[in-house]
Amino acid sequence: MKRDDRPQRWRMTRRGFLIGLGLVGGGLALGAALGLPAARLALADLLGDGTGPPASFPKEPAIWFAIQPDGRVVMAMPKVEMGQGVHTALAQLAAEELGVAWEQISVTQSSSIGPVRDPAGTSASYSVMGLFPVIRETAATLREMLRAAGAEQLGIAQAAIEQGFVIDPANPARRIGFGELAAQPRVWQAPAEAAPLTPPDRWRIIGQPAPRLDLPAKVRGAAIYGYDARAEGMLYGAVARPPHLGAKLRRAAPGTALSRPGVVQVVIRDGFAGVVAESRLTAYAALNDLELEWELPPPFTHQDLAERLAAQAGSGTPIQQRGDAGAALRGTQVIEATYRTPLAAHANLEPQAALVDVQPDRVRAWVSTQSPVQVAESIAATLGRPADTVEVTPTYLGGGFGRKLLITAANEAAILSAAAGKPVHVGWTRTEEFRYSYLRPPTYAAFRATLDGQGNIIALEQRHASGNVLFDFIPAPLRWLLGSDFGAWRGARLVYNIPNLLVTSQTVELPVPTGPWRGLGLLANVFAVESFIDELAHAAGSDPLEFRLRHLPDSDLGQRFRATLLAVAEMAGWRTPAPVGRARGIACSVDMNTVAAHVAEVGYEDDKLRVYRVWAAVDPGLAINPDGLAAQTEGGIMMGLSATLFEQVTISEGRIDAGNFDRYPLLTIADAPEVAVQILRSGDQPFGGGEPPMGPIAAAVANALFALTGERKRQLPLG
Amino acid sequence: MELTINGQQYTVADEPARPLLYVLRDELGLTGTKFGCGAGICGACTVHVNGVATRSCQTMLAAVAGAQITTIEGLADGERLHPVQQAFLELQTPQCGWCMSGQMMTAAALLAENPNPTREEMIAAMRYNYCRCGAYARIARAVMRAAELMKEGAA
Ligand code: FES
Ligand code: FES
Repeated sequence: MKRDDRPQRWRMTRRGFLIGLGLVGGGLALGAALGLPAARLALADLLGDGTGPPASFPKEPAIWFAIQPDGRVVMAMPKVEMGQGVHTALAQLAAEELGVAWEQISVTQSSSIGPVRDPAGTSASYSVMGLFPVIRETAATLREMLRAAGAEQLGIAQAAIEQGFVIDPANPARRIGFGELAAQPRVWQAPAEAAPLTPPDRWRIIGQPAPRLDLPAKVRGAAIYGYDARAEGMLYGAVARPPHLGAKLRRAAPGTALSRPGVVQVVIRDGFAGVVAESRLTAYAALNDLELEWELPPPFTHQDLAERLAAQAGSGTPIQQRGDAGAALRGTQVIEATYRTPLAAHANLEPQAALVDVQPDRVRAWVSTQSPVQVAESIAATLGRPADTVEVTPTYLGGGFGRKLLITAANEAAILSAAAGKPVHVGWTRTEEFRYSYLRPPTYAAFRATLDGQGNIIALEQRHASGNVLFDFIPAPLRWLLGSDFGAWRGARLVYNIPNLLVTSQTVELPVPTGPWRGLGLLANVFAVESFIDELAHAAGSDPLEFRLRHLPDSDLGQRFRATLLAVAEMAGWRTPAPVGRARGIACSVDMNTVAAHVAEVGYEDDKLRVYRVWAAVDPGLAINPDGLAAQTEGGIMMGLSATLFEQVTISEGRIDAGNFDRYPLLTIADAPEVAVQILRSGDQPFGGGEPPMGPIAAAVANALFALTGERKRQLPLG
Repeated sequence: MELTINGQQYTVADEPARPLLYVLRDELGLTGTKFGCGAGICGACTVHVNGVATRSCQTMLAAVAGAQITTIEGLADGERLHPVQQAFLELQTPQCGWCMSGQMMTAAALLAENPNPTREEMIAAMRYNYCRCGAYARIARAVMRAAELMKEGAA
């Protein structure tokens, strides 16, 4: 969307909505600034720029849609599309409450400055859950405004709404389209009363498998991603990389780079050396022509990191506490086990990429990013310019998985574009992506537990340690307040009814950059917790499903776990034996309030561990798009399996060994199991979708492996 | 030097040692073909050279002079999607979509040569295309579905 297509002025209504007029070609837009919980807004703003809540936020709508004269509805998307189907799910919410046909709605991506500004970014499986009330209320309000205008036009007191028309119920042939109404000059009033929301039993579009809006372009290869961004007169950039993690550039000189044909400029500033050239290959080749001297930090290996976690795990912050686990464990027969997971890479198939055009008075950028607002602020800081002169437009993302929150490539392209006076594209190579990205941190979890005579857990203690996940994104005072990184311990708390329970988590500083990976700590922590629960089930001589069921609390969440576990057990035929030579394992988790349970069936084929089948039951509360959630579940299981079976970043002498997929192979279609997914519904409110469904996979496989071999594997990868 | 891509003639700088991928994406603006690894491992850059699925990151210009090159932009017959594209759309297969041009080009080359693949033959052809989003279950179904659509179209 061109900048000029935006409503020029927003007028606040009594109930906190914003009415916008003056779209090109006429039309009406309604937005909402409020609706997200105030605390979350404040936190998002704090995370956004670290200076506390800026005054600007509530003056612009956080969500809006516009009705065009032809009746089409255009929705300005605050969230980015990285394959999770969020554009489609959010458009479903709007189409439902507006009372238009699904075919009438289309979406446009917002940039860092508008039409809607989203300091929260697209992460944490929060988009649909967080915007569910806001979008529906705003759409319902717009619908009621159109209904009132249409009724007046038709000269009736009560009008009906159907598929984008206001209709006279006494004579359905008398009707007027939303587009026609929106184009009329009139003073639009929001209703004084809250507009009624469509009750769940009348939903036409929510809960339906609406086809993804982004797929027609994607099957034609026409969707534009950050790596594809192009502009007139653009050049390509490449940046010199340190030989070891944490090495500093001591001295740099252009060397012979400038005499290489196609090289336009060499840019050297404090700690940075880069090349601008007419082609990407020339820019990268010219990096070898530079004269560079690096200051190397002491070398280390990935084993050193694991030892650091183990050494510090004893001193963590309590994150779950009940009864007195320490006392209950004393003098009893204690079952102990320690679980470890390695460093891992995101390996999103599109490496990070940005096109940045630095002009004298403003900066425009097209970036594959989950956080356009933060990337804009980071570019502004890099260039020393005011933040409001930088506009970052997020493109489609070739995979996000938490990797595309901070985009170093955008700052690099900005530096190079400022020097060259032309738009510059920086697209990392696979080697850069492997060696210079933040990684999923290693984890360590030491358990101790004791059972009573009936085989029930009396006491359980977990000492958890991990590298940073979200701490690098959080201002220092908040870090101190939190004590440990809540991203790192996602999934580490136990749902089970255990009278004496203590879980502590220690956040350990590591010499490698670490950060959020799909699900944050979820996969690693559920692997540890649900494997250990399985150990206890076997120690108690219980069936692992029955053991879990009898330890579930009687709460609402406990009931949802029970239903989800029973559903997956039924799908997998848990009570019937696995085929000869195979065995099954079960595990469950909750994340962003979505409950998931998996059964995996494994065996050995040519001496290689093989996962033949996975059954998954997922209770997301309400799935806005069940097919979309099923796809996320299938995908999360495959990505989680890849991590479970194969993935591990190793470091020798302070350098990440993998420079491409040959040293870091991913799961392929040949390794992929058959997957069956069942989506449950437990209410009228959606919870998280993109990450939670993958939670149990590593544990389900490890538990199946134990059932097959009698040998407990306590470290990823298993394969 | 002259290249024939999607039935159209293009003149590009005469640098025979340049990989086709960079010429397609950066010089000709055909960005539907994707970069994933630059090392012949991931399959994101797959195009057809005389109908054969080929990794454009490993293919030098010298090797394709005079050949018929097809990219994802040329897979459809104008408005009419290729059966592989139809099947991928019908089964809502792409997630992020970055790997999907390569997946569809690999599948289309397979089905052109073997319109009736068994599941094993399909896996053998598709197994060198990574999908980090993990859409494998749907990719497998979509390729088999495309074979059906081709039969229906031919009947
Ligand atoms: S980019 Fe060519 S195979 Fe990966
Ligand atoms: S759809 Fe994202 S990599 Fe395949």
